[in-house]
Amino acid sequence: MGQQIFWRFSVIHRALHLIVIFGFIGIVVTGFSMAFSSVAPARGFASFLGGADSVRYLHRFFAVVLYLCVVTHVFWLFYYKLILGGNLLGPNSVCFRKQDLLCLRDHIGYILAFRNAPPAFDRFTYWEKVDYWAIFIGMQSMGLTGLFLWFPEFFSRLLPGYFVNVAHVLHFDEAVLAVLYIFLIHLTNAHWRPGVYPGDWTIFTGKTTKETLMKDHPGEWASLNASPQSSAIGEK
Amino acid sequence: MKLRSQTSAVAVYAIALFVLTLSLVAFARAEEQSSECLNCHRDRNVNSREGILSSQLFCYNCHQDPTSYEGFRAAKAPRQVKPEYFQKSAHKFVACVQCHTDVARSPHRSLSGVQCISCHRENYGSPGTHAEHLRLRCEACHTDSPFVTLDIAKNEVKLSHTNEKLVPITLAEHKVTDVTKQEFCTKCHTPNNLVGAPAMVLPSKSFVCIVCHYSPLKMGNPVFLIAVCIALIGMVATLNFWFKGRVQDEASSVHKKLQLGSEVVWSKIFSKEAFSIVRTVFFDILLQRRVLANGVSRWFIHSLIYYSFLARFSLSFFTLLLQKLSPEGEWTLTLINKDSSFVAMLNDLLGVFILAGVIWAMVRRYITKPDYIVTEEQDTIALVIIGLVTFSGFVLEGIRLLIVQMPQQIAFSAFAGYFLSRLFSAVNLDWQTIYGYNWYVHALLWALFIAYLPFGKLKHIFTTPVTLLLNYKRT
Repeated sequence: MGQQIFWRFSVIHRALHLIVIFGFIGIVVTGFSMAFSSVAPARGFASFLGGADSVRYLHRFFAVVLYLCVVTHVFWLFYYKLILGGNLLGPNSVCFRKQDLLCLRDHIGYILAFRNAPPAFDRFTYWEKVDYWAIFIGMQSMGLTGLFLWFPEFFSRLLPGYFVNVAHVLHFDEAVLAVLYIFLIHLTNAHWRPGVYPGDWTIFTGKTTKETLMKDHPGEWASLNASPQSSAIGEK
Repeated sequence: MKLRSQTSAVAVYAIALFVLTLSLVAFARAEEQSSECLNCHRDRNVNSREGILSSQLFCYNCHQDPTSYEGFRAAKAPRQVKPEYFQKSAHKFVACVQCHTDVARSPHRSLSGVQCISCHRENYGSPGTHAEHLRLRCEACHTDSPFVTLDIAKNEVKLSHTNEKLVPITLAEHKVTDVTKQEFCTKCHTPNNLVGAPAMVLPSKSFVCIVCHYSPLKMGNPVFLIAVCIALIGMVATLNFWFKGRVQDEASSVHKKLQLGSEVVWSKIFSKEAFSIVRTVFFDILLQRRVLANGVSRWFIHSLIYYSFLARFSLSFFTLLLQKLSPEGEWTLTLINKDSSFVAMLNDLLGVFILAGVIWAMVRRYITKPDYIVTEEQDTIALVIIGLVTFSGFVLEGIRLLIVQMPQQIAFSAFAGYFLSRLFSAVNLDWQTIYGYNWYVHALLWALFIAYLPFGKLKHIFTTPVTLLLNYKRT
């Protein structure tokens, strides 16, 4: 091969992504088999999983697993900032910055053929950041409404009872939204786009090649060449 | 002629009127009767507020009157439900027949009693408190009546219908116990109680007890917290020591070492070498091939202890999982009950195996002393802790079977504990009090085991599998 390899995702991010894949599928199949319990196949699947009690328990188990992944990401954020000395508003961060708006403008310009080249994306492109934060913020509201439904007695002591009903509606609607987002937008954006189809293995292997880096993240490539130490993960 | 026909016409008219009136009255009475029937035989929708309240009011019709019981032969004490208790309880919006499921019939009485678990499913047999009190009816603790009784024939502890002077008392007040206060425990857990409870209120099991017992996922007594903290400190210190070494020529940055180390693990798991790792896990860790290579008797001793602990851990973990997933399942109901014949016999058998393994190991280490065995102090400590934990567990079981007056056909399954309970019954001691102290001995020994884990011989439970995995190529 002899190809120069760059490390894009560390083991903890790969592991978290794997756990989130299985946790998400688990929470979706258990959640929807409860939400659509009026439909016979959903009931059949629920009884296959051990009945309503079991499905409820598994749903909450997966919820805890997923939320622990969110907590781990928050810890990573502190680790990145405090121990690795990373800059949360710098080019290697997944946080939004002004540059992303300019990239969006230039990218649209490129798509509409007003510009000759795509913008110099940094480590994370704007749509990757949207992918990340849509789920990250969505997990907070799913978690909160989920807690309302898990402990209705406790929350109806603090809040009016109709909050439980509201939580029920929001929890279901946002679940549909999250499923649509993951299976349509995230999969299309990240794995089915031309160039990486049928899947982008970087999130599983952690490795990326020089060509991919130069093509997809030219901004990061430029900064890597300027000073090799600036990447959070570092090159091998 | 005209007059006669007129008269007969009037007569016919009068008769018709009479018949009509009569039938109207009869119809009205029938109407009245049917509405009387519907008083009881109306099918109320107890899932609606109206149905619940009208159902409650219907029962209150009689059950609010303190003297209404007097016409009934069976009832000896008032059956008055006091709204000042009931309407303040958590069940104020529950219809009476939702708990008293079999009372709506003639003759009006209940054979099965109140059905708590039809709603409180997940509480039935949950570990920590409920699983330890399986032969108690819920209301024995959860109702504020000081009089409880042991029904040996049914192997059941329930509320007593009489007070200490055998005068009938009412149980219908619906005074629900405040379980946030521990006083309700002491109505049974006192010295010389008659229901077979230990003389003191013992703490709940801790999650560390799951190695052998079906236990809750909580810390329990502070002693376990201290033990777990000591163990964690030891583990962190060990890990810290390990990461002092070099990882692929990286000597300083812990971040780099973690990164390089985890990278190696990841690349091995997702490669063909995963099969060799699985082989190592199966043969070297699970089947203990390398111990067998060192000698059959050594493997046998180690297996007596290792597989027994593994089996008890698997069983208690599986029971906990099953209780969470299907609290009413048939398997769950068998497995949560430590006196059910399967669980009792298996646990006793495995305990005997552990004890046999420990004694055999001690005989080899201290009596026969083959040349190749080097005994250090830490070997002695580990063996003594495991042996004493198991032995105190058997003593505990023996005393428990004795003080709860377990019927012989049930107690017999726990053969070792039953044997000890027969021995203990020959000595007239205050076993109810001794049980409590013995419980603390057993629990403290186990806390010692947990705290000692990362420091001495017991460390091998974690380090040997890791070493074997790291050397997976040397098969």
